[in-house]
Amino acid sequence: MKTVIVARPGDGNFVSRFFYGVKSLLTGMRVTFRYLVHPSTVVTQQYPENRKTLKLAERVRAQLSFTFDENGFHKCTACHICEQQCPNASIHVMDRKPAGSTKSELDTFIWRLDSCTFCNLCVMVCPFQVLKMNSNFESSVYDQKLLVYNLTPYAGPASSVLMKVADVEERKKLIDARGPYDGPTALSGFPLAGISKQVFPETTQIGAPQ
Amino acid sequence: MSVSSVSQDIASHLGSAPEISAAYFVAGLLGTVTFLTVMALILIYAERKVAAHFQCRLGPMRVGWHGLLQSVADALKLILKEDIVPYSADKFLHALAPVFAVVAMLLSLIAIPTSSRLALSDSNIGVLYISAVSGLGVLGILLGGWSSNNKWSLLGAMRAGAQIISYELSATLSVLVVIMLSGSLKLSAIIHSQEAGWWIWRAPGVGLLAFLLFIVSSTAEINRTPFDLAEGESELTAGFHTEYSGMRFAFFFLAEYLNLFVVSALGATLFLGGWMPFHIGNFSGFNAAMDLIPEFIWFMGKTAFLIFLSMWFRWTFPRLRVDQLMKLEWKVLMPIGFINLLLAAMMTLFGFYFFATT
Repeated sequence: MKTVIVARPGDGNFVSRFFYGVKSLLTGMRVTFRYLVHPSTVVTQQYPENRKTLKLAERVRAQLSFTFDENGFHKCTACHICEQQCPNASIHVMDRKPAGSTKSELDTFIWRLDSCTFCNLCVMVCPFQVLKMNSNFESSVYDQKLLVYNLTPYAGPASSVLMKVADVEERKKLIDARGPYDGPTALSGFPLAGISKQVFPETTQIGAPQ
Repeated sequence: MSVSSVSQDIASHLGSAPEISAAYFVAGLLGTVTFLTVMALILIYAERKVAAHFQCRLGPMRVGWHGLLQSVADALKLILKEDIVPYSADKFLHALAPVFAVVAMLLSLIAIPTSSRLALSDSNIGVLYISAVSGLGVLGILLGGWSSNNKWSLLGAMRAGAQIISYELSATLSVLVVIMLSGSLKLSAIIHSQEAGWWIWRAPGVGLLAFLLFIVSSTAEINRTPFDLAEGESELTAGFHTEYSGMRFAFFFLAEYLNLFVVSALGATLFLGGWMPFHIGNFSGFNAAMDLIPEFIWFMGKTAFLIFLSMWFRWTFPRLRVDQLMKLEWKVLMPIGFINLLLAAMMTLFGFYFFATT
């Protein structure tokens, strides 16, 4: 077995320590000089000019959102586990029972960005991997009331139930459209001063199918 | 060249009338102050850019093209900022300290020749004068630290005092090597003595060693990293200028960056031939080709190189501890400096260097 002896600054006599020090300084200078002459090593992102090419890590937790399958349906069964786990009551799952059914289904999924601490607990406990944190970090709005969102674009059963219905038109009868400020959100039912309920374009709807 | 010839023409056409002399004085003063301010702004911008790229960053990018006007904006901010003087500070000394720092820097700057025809004051004791007045700068730092009536400031100032006085010794020892080889204290004579080649390579080994000694000790003298114990932001908030803001802080800042310029210019003058183009002995063809580049460009180029070297040090090396700092000076640099001086004396005596005339 080969033993590697690493020289340390404390070893040896004065002269060898002196040259060890000089060598280590020169090594450091070589490293920094390489950074200087290689602009590709720059890690700075010039936001907001580079909005189009902005690269964010997968782990960024900027907003809570729903995941949807290829048909635009989610798997949420309104089980309320995320709501119970939420340490600061930022999630309210509003469910409904369709006429002639005993099973609950999701109506609106209210998420309060203003009180959320992005602890990721709801994402971790979700039995169906419906929730995820996305990297859409531009969350600023003009009124705090606008930070209470409904995450689901439709009220209706989970995709597993919906896909059992073969006819597309029949499926549409089972679900009702929901907007980002529908349900018991701050904006539901009334406009804010100067901001009507309808002015929000589709792009501000978070959690919409990609 | 053109700048220097113009100034020479102006000087030769001036009469001795007092009002003309006064006008010349005012114009010279304004010109110098403008040049220095612009120089400081450029240096601060360059430092920030170089530092950024050493650390994989971009540095100032927003004000002007690639942040070119950033230091102008910063200067405006400092001018407009409120000047806060601590309640229990010594008001008079607190106001005096930045002035000392700037004046010491200005005094050492006037002795440095920037080309063969442009030197504000080419005294025959130039080197001695510079080493004397550059020591004044520590007075500004000590006064600033003392008058602020603040623990951090005082600690920083005391560290700066101990450090600058210690490193002045090895700086002077390395300068003595050049004085010995060139046989003069006059800066223009030292430059002329390097007509056959710069001292850094003409005196084999000794010149390079003296140059390295000078670089290390002068970096310590102007309180730059790795010797920035006087400011050490992680230990002393901001050291001696903790209690300074607005214009007075700007004065310290100005002095700091122009001191960098002065020290680099002095290093270039003593070891790299100042404005003297790169010559090799009697190779007249090569020397003539080198002479095509103006002297002022040579001087600024060498100075810029040394400034870059200093920035490179600053953004690479970690800060020393106080005891390590003192150990480096008294146990490493001083003995090396003395041995180097001895070798230089022997070299001078026997003419054992390249292109010796005697």
